[in-house]
Amino acid sequence: MDWTLLFQLLVSGLIVGALYGVVAMCFVLVYKASQVVNFAQGEFMLIGAWACWWLLLKFQLPFFAAFLITLAFMMAFGLILQVVVLKPLIGEPVISVIMVTIGLSIFFQALMKWLFGVSAQPFPPIFAEPSINVLGLQVKTVYAMSTLISIGIMISFAWFFKFSRMGLAMRATAFNQQVAQSLGISVRQVFALSWGISAMVSALAGVVVGVVNGVSPALSFFGIKVFPAVILGGLDSIVGAVVGGLVIGVLENLAHYADSQLLRWGNLYEIAPFYVLILILMIRPYGLFGTRDIERV
Amino acid sequence: MDVKRMMAGAVLAGGALLSLATTVVVAQGISIGHLADFSGPTADVGGPYGQGVADAIAHINKHGGVAGRKLEHETVDYSYQVPRAISTYKNWSGRVVAIQGWGTADTEALVGFVTKDKIPYFSASYAATLTDPAGGSKADKATPYNFFYGPSYSDAARGLVQWAADDWKKKGGQGKPKYVHMGANHPYPNSPKAAAEEYARELGFEVLPPIQFALTPGDYTAQCLTLRQSGAQYAYLGNTAGSNISILKACQTVGVQVQFLGNVWGMDENAMKAAGSAANNVVYPVRTSAIWTDKAPGMALMREISKMSDPGGTAYRASHYLAAVCATLYMKEAMEWAAANGGVTGENIRKGMYARQNWTPKGTEGVCKPSTWTAQDHRSLLQLDLYRAEVKDAPDAPIAELVAKGTIQMRRIATIDLLRKKEWLGW
Amino acid sequence: MASTIALRPCGDFKTSYGSDQIVFPTRLSLGFCIFGIVALCFAPLVLGKYGLSLLVQIGYLGIAALGLNILVGFTGQISIGHAVFFGFGAFASAYFSNKLNVPVFFAIPLAGLATTAVGLVFGLPAARLKGLYLAIATLAAQFILQDFFARAGWFTGGVAGTAAKSFSIFGYDVAGDHQYFYVVLVYVVLMYLAATNLMRTRDGRALVAVRDHYLSAEMMGINLMKYRTMSFGLAAFYAGIGGALYAHYLGFVSVEGFDILFSIQFLAMVIIGGLGSIMGTLMGTTFMVLLPEVMGGLAKMLSGSAIDRMLSLSEGIVFLREMTIGAVIVLFLVFEPDGLAHRWRQIRAYWKLYPFSH
Repeated sequence: MDWTLLFQLLVSGLIVGALYGVVAMCFVLVYKASQVVNFAQGEFMLIGAWACWWLLLKFQLPFFAAFLITLAFMMAFGLILQVVVLKPLIGEPVISVIMVTIGLSIFFQALMKWLFGVSAQPFPPIFAEPSINVLGLQVKTVYAMSTLISIGIMISFAWFFKFSRMGLAMRATAFNQQVAQSLGISVRQVFALSWGISAMVSALAGVVVGVVNGVSPALSFFGIKVFPAVILGGLDSIVGAVVGGLVIGVLENLAHYADSQLLRWGNLYEIAPFYVLILILMIRPYGLFGTRDIERV
Repeated sequence: MDVKRMMAGAVLAGGALLSLATTVVVAQGISIGHLADFSGPTADVGGPYGQGVADAIAHINKHGGVAGRKLEHETVDYSYQVPRAISTYKNWSGRVVAIQGWGTADTEALVGFVTKDKIPYFSASYAATLTDPAGGSKADKATPYNFFYGPSYSDAARGLVQWAADDWKKKGGQGKPKYVHMGANHPYPNSPKAAAEEYARELGFEVLPPIQFALTPGDYTAQCLTLRQSGAQYAYLGNTAGSNISILKACQTVGVQVQFLGNVWGMDENAMKAAGSAANNVVYPVRTSAIWTDKAPGMALMREISKMSDPGGTAYRASHYLAAVCATLYMKEAMEWAAANGGVTGENIRKGMYARQNWTPKGTEGVCKPSTWTAQDHRSLLQLDLYRAEVKDAPDAPIAELVAKGTIQMRRIATIDLLRKKEWLGW
Repeated sequence: MASTIALRPCGDFKTSYGSDQIVFPTRLSLGFCIFGIVALCFAPLVLGKYGLSLLVQIGYLGIAALGLNILVGFTGQISIGHAVFFGFGAFASAYFSNKLNVPVFFAIPLAGLATTAVGLVFGLPAARLKGLYLAIATLAAQFILQDFFARAGWFTGGVAGTAAKSFSIFGYDVAGDHQYFYVVLVYVVLMYLAATNLMRTRDGRALVAVRDHYLSAEMMGINLMKYRTMSFGLAAFYAGIGGALYAHYLGFVSVEGFDILFSIQFLAMVIIGGLGSIMGTLMGTTFMVLLPEVMGGLAKMLSGSAIDRMLSLSEGIVFLREMTIGAVIVLFLVFEPDGLAHRWRQIRAYWKLYPFSH
């Protein structure tokens, strides 16, 4: 047993898992607030990455300026999308809403390919030091930045939902729309805001992945990888999403370790999360932290 | 119920579409088909290749066509979706005499059809299973109507392995060097795996278990850590450019000391620009004898053809573009032979491909490598040039500029001549 | 008085169970149906290869989409993994006819049964889940089975894919699209009639009950697990038959063709056609098959024209096609969430009641 390799894989898993956790959080946020499953989450990441890349290249802005402008843009984008496309679908069966988000993802994928081309484009170098040493493993600086930002976002989400007025309004709407409305909460605003925040945070994750791998149309596949994390944690628990992301990140790497050292099947890195997903769904269908739908028959 | 009323409506709609979608074939022209991927998952390499074919055809038509007849062609972007390729083929069969195809998906799907309908299919998929026209080898099926210009994936991999063995000796390495295949579990990267690993063993390598990484960009730190821990000296990257970029960057961060060997579609100027210094030192094969910046007699024709879609003459053309032009010109010369020997039909074009040995199309000397197709062996090219990528990190700029400044350089380091072994046919 | 030539009474005056269950309420609708089938029999004489290939595609995709509609529209489940069942049917049929030397005529139904078995295996755990969780479980099944196709060389031919024999009946080799079209036509008619019949039997009504209010259904004694699993099995059966027809049409089955995008296309067919409507499935399939062709035709018409130059569309035309498909799905669901079938019923009702409004 190669302990150094295992340990390094663990560290790497946690770091990537933090990123999965961020995207999973956005997913859960939208679901919690507006009961919509957003299959276009990957495309949000893609749009954010391309927008940031374009700002950096076209206007030669410093990174943080471009980053903040991207976040603002994505917030507006999420808001507009919700108002224009998703509001008419309130009340429709789940499958229709899923289909709409799938249609949106197809639309945006093609749009991005049209606007920015199909080849992978590198981000201009952002940090002076491309990689730093974390616990003995050379890690890209941008990952370290993303871990810090992820923790920051998790803390601010936690504060937002527990103590701020809007956060409480969102939780109330998620619990029961009609009661929330009767208490004077503007459900429309809550929906729009949740989409805006989700788009914004996805863009952040997208920029990180883009800095690491270059921006390309395939970046949106990240969105599919997030599903096991979301289910593991429970579809309506933010904490669960974070935990789920971390677990999936570590799990992927551990599976790869087992695969390369012991089993030699070759594909466990990609497939293990989905096997685990099925297992979780059979044992604990509501994930680790999700709320149980209690039915009395 | 009005199920069938709707079906009748569908029939009418289908008929209307038939008239919309078919191009009018002029009796004088020669009809060929062109399948390309400009917008699908392989579009980053499919774009330059498809552009090369289209430009070459336009150039041929501008200079009198084939034996005085223009090439009537239809370029269809099928986005790497097999059903679309099949329905396009159905539309074409009975009209076209040859097809310029693209990737593994459409080539494999159409093998049976083109063999039955006797339509030569020039693919950009260089799978070794397409090289056996008579059947009976390890390829398991006879493909008499499949042609491609370039070394097959397996042969290219064997060439890289051979270079790696020589490189190990030159570096004075002690003991058995270690070789590992890295790629997705997918027809394209798997195509040369078994052949390359067997040849590596033959040459004295210790072959390590393959490392898998997906065809999509992602985080491959885990694979790089495993690679580093395994101690391999030579790693073959079997995927396309998009994911190779990811793994090169990840391995650079982790600090892996390994000689990466690329494949024909896995490393090109675009990939070098996107990966930056992570792509430095990667050794990869090139199908043509020259790249865009070289001075060779054939480059004059290439630049002329490039002007068909870039009148200003400023575009930088990747190696895929040049290979595409070569493939099209080979088809053209086979058609010319057919025109002089019984008419331009699929069967005669095939015979035309066998008519010459070691030929390069007129005007492409120094670019297209001399190739030979025979009725028993469709391995046209057994010589490959190996280049080393030399890339520095630099601010973003168009590729032409980066090449001119020397930020991206491709240095030819070896020309490998492979043996035409009978037991290597078809796999 | 339930079968007058063309008039329907405005109200429900049926007096027997039999009349309540008939498939064709008026002789005219039965006549249209038969006329349509007969007209299609002449299609190979009229249409060229291209049009015929489109019809064959609509045929086998329509069968698979019908299975999905039974699952999603009639039972209220969600499946985002339908493409791998389709692919399993294709591989199974090729395997049976190649390796086990079963005549293709029997290999196709056998492949359907094999796919049913696989569908039941996935249906059992899935029957316990609802809504979102089910959707994501089927998504996982999609990836797992896709991976299985890529690895199981003995079954699927792995890397190289596998060739499928052409269809033959008792030694008579069906060669060419013209003749294969009739095979597909027979299967479409059979499968659609079977589905229509299912929906008017006890089991079909049970499925609808499970969809509409599962708690009440359970209280009435309908075994939820049994019917949900059965629904998965049925959907897999239809997908398997569709896949087998696809395999013998193409003559080649490759692992690359059954990805998540294909599953999404099936969903689009069912939703655009109308959930819970059998006729709608066929309409939705026709729509999804013809949409890229129409867009391609439009693009070709526009290329080189003034609009093309103004918007510099020529490079972007291919992306425009994809964008339109996505936009059409979205717009359809926003403006006509009940699908084409509903819209068709509205149009028919308008003409039936003209000049009255109801």
